[in-house]
Amino acid sequence: MTDERTIRIEPVTRLEGHGELTIKLGKGGKVKDVQFNISSTRFFEKFLEGRLAEEVPRIAERICGICPVPHLLASVKAVEAAWDVNPPSAAEKVRRLFLNAKQLSSHGLHFFALAAPDFLAGPFADPSQRNVVNIIKSLPDVGKLALQVMEYGQDLVSAIGGKSIHPVTATPGGMLNPFSEEHRDNFLERMEDLKEWTTDTVELAKKVVDDYWDVIENFAVVPTYYLGMHYRGNYEIYDGRLRVMNPEGEIVENFPAKRYRKYYGEHVPDHSYATHIYYKPAGYPEGVWRANSLARINVADKMPTPLAQEALEELREKLGRPTHATFAYHWARVIEMIQAVEEMEKLLTDPEIVSTDVKLSDVEPKKGNGVGVVEAPRGTLLHHYWTDEKGIVTKTNLVVATNNNIGGIEKSLMKAAKQVFENKEHENLNLPDPMIK
Amino acid sequence: MAKRVAFTQLSSCWGCDQSLVDLHLGLLDVIPELEIVYWPAVVDYKLKDLENLSDQSIEFGFVEGSCRTKEDEHLLKVMRKKSQTLIAWGSCSCYGGVQGLGNQWSIDELMERKFKTADTVTNGRIPEENMPGFTDHVKANTEIVPFELRIPGCPPTPENTLEGLTALLQGKEYKLPNKTVCDECPKEREHKTITEFHRTHEGKIDPDRCLLDQGYLCLGFATISLCGAQCPKVNTPCKGCFGPPPGVIDHGAKIISALGSVVDMDAEELREHFPDTIGSFYFTDYASSYLSKITSRKNKEES
Repeated sequence: MTDERTIRIEPVTRLEGHGELTIKLGKGGKVKDVQFNISSTRFFEKFLEGRLAEEVPRIAERICGICPVPHLLASVKAVEAAWDVNPPSAAEKVRRLFLNAKQLSSHGLHFFALAAPDFLAGPFADPSQRNVVNIIKSLPDVGKLALQVMEYGQDLVSAIGGKSIHPVTATPGGMLNPFSEEHRDNFLERMEDLKEWTTDTVELAKKVVDDYWDVIENFAVVPTYYLGMHYRGNYEIYDGRLRVMNPEGEIVENFPAKRYRKYYGEHVPDHSYATHIYYKPAGYPEGVWRANSLARINVADKMPTPLAQEALEELREKLGRPTHATFAYHWARVIEMIQAVEEMEKLLTDPEIVSTDVKLSDVEPKKGNGVGVVEAPRGTLLHHYWTDEKGIVTKTNLVVATNNNIGGIEKSLMKAAKQVFENKEHENLNLPDPMIK
Repeated sequence: MAKRVAFTQLSSCWGCDQSLVDLHLGLLDVIPELEIVYWPAVVDYKLKDLENLSDQSIEFGFVEGSCRTKEDEHLLKVMRKKSQTLIAWGSCSCYGGVQGLGNQWSIDELMERKFKTADTVTNGRIPEENMPGFTDHVKANTEIVPFELRIPGCPPTPENTLEGLTALLQGKEYKLPNKTVCDECPKEREHKTITEFHRTHEGKIDPDRCLLDQGYLCLGFATISLCGAQCPKVNTPCKGCFGPPPGVIDHGAKIISALGSVVDMDAEELREHFPDTIGSFYFTDYASSYLSKITSRKNKEES
């Protein structure tokens, strides 16, 4: 008789993408191995070859239906870098508004639909109850709040990009369509409501943080490296240099994206179609880094807008810098929502946002290669294209946001599995009464 | 009484899911009508729960994505067995989707590039442990199992999905419109003869005039109208992501033959303008083209 067994969670739910979880337990419940099995991939790296480079952004954004805007923009920026093109400043502002609008709706979706069910219904609730549909039914105010926050972001994406999913207007040299005064007025008018909803979201998030403090502080806390963008130390998502922070909290690298190959390693595990990106100089698995909200707020010295900075200070006061608390990702995400709303308001009140001078008309293809990087909701997103003299893509390298996190997720899962199966720590966690009963 | 529905994602971008969520407050009217029995993106039921349902016990089964892995094929077959009405939801499901462009290469070439020769890869190998394995090529789901309904689009708009869902809930017939994007496009079309094509980044687009008349390859004339001409309305050429109107089997072939009547160019000139014919004329539906099937057969024979 042996108590060795393998646990398979198939599929991991409330996840964007295809994942399964394998936990191998040895004698006495010792955790021998934890695998995060990402079970699908579609080979964009290859089938973007041979395409007209200016059409590639519209193909490449189909990597993700939840975050097409960052893919569209990273892709356009890569083509612009390869062709030495600098779009007009108004186009850059519209793109920033675009990216922040997506950040808002994606973070809203993540917080309310993917994460909140665990906290509002409780981690031990019946699986049939642990979802956003139940939140909408049982806590209609929270449900409505979620839907309105997401709607503002998605509507703004659509106003700029023509469609909320797989938008189309960004092209090498700028934007094919200016942002209209009519749209600007409409979104400014709705801004007061958005700010109120954001405040309500922050209140809810604070309650969750307080209620689940024991979990945040003690569960699945794993030191890793962190990767994120900054502009002169400020938090930044559209255009800046990249920083790598080590587990001790020291900034060990600060480089322009085009030099990424010196710092990025891509480990191919035998058990996942998604590769594990890591800090190459430290080797694998020691150099496993994480990206996304927690990484961004770890590597940035400060947030560029006042309310977001206040929120960051509050987090740092409680958890320090860096924080390795995996559950603090949710808190960091809320700080970023505040940041996105503040930045959107700033951009919407900038007269240049409705400028019609948003596209160059003399863009010429050339032979070269270019790297485009933005911060996507799930982390630093990098597209690298080589084009020939006619502007046809001959080769690509894509390091998508989520892959920066897979190695770190596996580390968190290993830690959590040990806490659960070896030490039964989950039985002693101090948990609140669920808001949904 | 609420209807039993399932939403399943095969290999895809999950944009169809996001599109459904984009009904936002409209969801409040729809949700009470649905009993969700499987939807991994939202609800915590596992594959075993789906497999354990009685056959035909799902009233409406929505399938997003196409079969890039053998796990996808399994899921598609399970959904077929469990569903009374199976809906091909989105262009991946209806035509194979953008990943169908991968059919230009063999699966070995695709794997080689991703897992072995990518610039940042430090230990090339093909993952195998607990991995499902890939299909040799991508096909439209409708070529693998029969479907009762198709709602194409990359993704379908929230209104498209709502319209289909409402028809199903009310037991009414849902028919795809026999119209093209041009029928919904507000731009003025003079049906000019085209002597030169511009690439999308070139020049300045006149916002009031037909994009095709201006020499931009806008595929609205050969693409089904479900989207409300979203792209041309923001000065961006249609790439045909919703696929052809009903009755047209090979979208790209239709585009090329229709172009013949508006273009004053010989075949050689046309080829020079479009060095990537597959990417230009078969954006999300290459997998359902005759050309793709011939290439796939050839790749198979060679391996």
